[in-house]
Amino acid sequence: MARQNYILHSFDCLNVSTATRLHDMGLCEGCPIKVVQRYPFHGPVIIENDHQRIGLRYQVFMSITGAADK
Amino acid sequence: MTTIALIGNPNTGKTTLFNSLTDKYAYVGNWTGVTVEKKQGNLKGTDIVIIDLPGVYSLDPLTKDEAVVTNYLMHNKPNMILNVTNASQLKRNLLLTIEILELGYPVILVLNMIDDLRRSGYEYDLKLLEESLGCKVTTTNARGHQGIDKVREKALQYKSIPSTQLGLEYPAIIQQAIRQASTALSKDFGYPAHVARWLTIQYMGKNKVIRETAKKEKLTPLLNQEKYYDAQKFADKIFETRLQFIEKTLTNARQPLSGSNPVEVTSRIDKVVTNPILGLPIFVLIFFIMFKLSFDWVGTPLSDMLDQFISGPVSSTTNQLLIKLGAIPALRSLIINGIIAGVGGVLAFIPQIFMLFACISLLEDSGYMARAALVTDRIMQVIGLNGKSFIPLIIGFGCNVTGIMAARTVEQPKERLITTLIMPFMSCSARLPIYSLFVAAFFPHHQALIVLSIYFLGIVVALGMAKFYQVIFHVKESSVFVVELPHYHLPRLDIIWQGTWDKGKGFIKKAGTIIFAGTVLIWVLSSFGTSGFVTNSANSFAADLGRILVPVFKPIGLVQWQAISALFTGILAKEVITSSMMVMFHTSSKAFLIASLGQFMSPLTAYALLIFILLYAPCFATLATIKQETGSTKWMLYAVISSLIIAYCIAFIVFQIGQFFWG
Repeated sequence: MARQNYILHSFDCLNVSTATRLHDMGLCEGCPIKVVQRYPFHGPVIIENDHQRIGLRYQVFMSITGAADK
Repeated sequence: MTTIALIGNPNTGKTTLFNSLTDKYAYVGNWTGVTVEKKQGNLKGTDIVIIDLPGVYSLDPLTKDEAVVTNYLMHNKPNMILNVTNASQLKRNLLLTIEILELGYPVILVLNMIDDLRRSGYEYDLKLLEESLGCKVTTTNARGHQGIDKVREKALQYKSIPSTQLGLEYPAIIQQAIRQASTALSKDFGYPAHVARWLTIQYMGKNKVIRETAKKEKLTPLLNQEKYYDAQKFADKIFETRLQFIEKTLTNARQPLSGSNPVEVTSRIDKVVTNPILGLPIFVLIFFIMFKLSFDWVGTPLSDMLDQFISGPVSSTTNQLLIKLGAIPALRSLIINGIIAGVGGVLAFIPQIFMLFACISLLEDSGYMARAALVTDRIMQVIGLNGKSFIPLIIGFGCNVTGIMAARTVEQPKERLITTLIMPFMSCSARLPIYSLFVAAFFPHHQALIVLSIYFLGIVVALGMAKFYQVIFHVKESSVFVVELPHYHLPRLDIIWQGTWDKGKGFIKKAGTIIFAGTVLIWVLSSFGTSGFVTNSANSFAADLGRILVPVFKPIGLVQWQAISALFTGILAKEVITSSMMVMFHTSSKAFLIASLGQFMSPLTAYALLIFILLYAPCFATLATIKQETGSTKWMLYAVISSLIIAYCIAFIVFQIGQFFWG
């Protein structure tokens, strides 16, 4: 089973708008998040942080959690 | 005039609070983008104006809708700001609060949805929050009508609420830069000290609107330092300082509640609704039920009853009354065959449309819409759109007008424009009568298959055009798709009713006026000819026009002026094509028309005509909505021309290839 808890790694690979929106939602590098749901075929990922649930695209999720580097 | 501005994140219950505080009700929804322009109303029993601004996550806007708030704050001076927050997500909400507090207006911080917070097992010491933030703090549960009176009382005391400017301890290097720039802005450009400081911090934080304004106004103290600010990563440092301040404040103010039993209703529902395997089938089922309610179980029977009432008693009573009053035949024809038949024909669709709107309002209010956008995002990504476009397109199957209006929730302007432009290719319910007539006449043994192929063709063309626009408009893959999934709420009947009415009343008013005008025009064209008023439509201007255009339509198989003239009436409203055909073919019986249509054209021509009807110019109401939503006549005209070309080309290809095989 895939890891459910992550620490946000880096926003450097994101486009400015997505990074800004994530910042606005209180997400930043070093923030702990929990994966609530993943969709097949590289579909969106639902994460939870500070009592809020956010849907992200797979690529964004992979990039901010550093999973893409591994 | 005393003005209070309501500002807050999306999904904080801002509009619900606005509706409770004011006399006028505004539309409420439970997902991002419901308030797309500012709405205003008066604080109950007073002449204090409350302005409801669109929900924003920060004052640095990503979309045009979000820019409304920053522009409002730059060009207006509200007497007070009501900052509405979701008490359970205060960490995120306070990021916006800090930006507002730094501006220095009197602010009341409203911790809304306080019941949700208490259920999760803690609350905040309001006194401590007030001391840290330097503003008044109050709690509400706007959906449960709790705490509204306290907000109202505080709003009435707006004069006694001091303007406090929050002074966060930014790193020394930033503090010094703020001091230098804001002093120069005050001295050289006459900005009040608190505005100059706010402008400087926003500029350092890379706020796009502020940076543009600085360029326009040539604010050199800021422009000259831009490279330095960015090189030193001031924006990141400002964000970090704010976040640290918020975390410290909330940790100090947080108090555990004894005896609370957190029940995670949202988690439980989400386990099923957003399940990777069940999510999509559930989405399909919900929309299937919505369509069944609107177009089968409830909406259509009511529409039929209304139609019978208008075309029966209303029409015949008016006719008798006009005969009694001695009205001339032309006037009688205008009222009975023009206005009552045309406007009444559209009014008959109100039950279906209102039912559809009620279902959409219910989905919005419950919090499901954001989930629907999420589960469809992967599919939409393929054609360069995102999940937020899927819902409007599905709604477009019911009515293109409502579909386009629903596209307001799409954040990216280009994606919203593409969604609007491809909407007319989604086969709306008004086109069904003509499909059913033609399949009954020409394809009696394959009716469902033919109708399905037409719907499918509409979807294929819409998706193809979306891909085309994606390339033309340079929509890169860097679309913003960050969807907040709000907590589920038990839908409230009054909010659903208001949502339905607010969406529907616009349709009645706008579509009603356009259709009225169009009806009169079509009646004139089909009732007058070169010899004046005619009783036989074969001698009318409509017939002349049809005959002139026969050579144009011949390549797609159409050589009958009646069918060509009927197509014109479809621009008025698609459902009018059927009734126009009846007038042009001199028959009042659908069965007779079905029987006689076979003599006029071949099945291949009929299929080419159906394709043309599916794709050609959108109806008046849709065109008016395209103009309203894009704010441009250019796009409206483009929608007409492009769809005509596409319709003609595809009908031509199908007819010519078909002739090769069956000709």
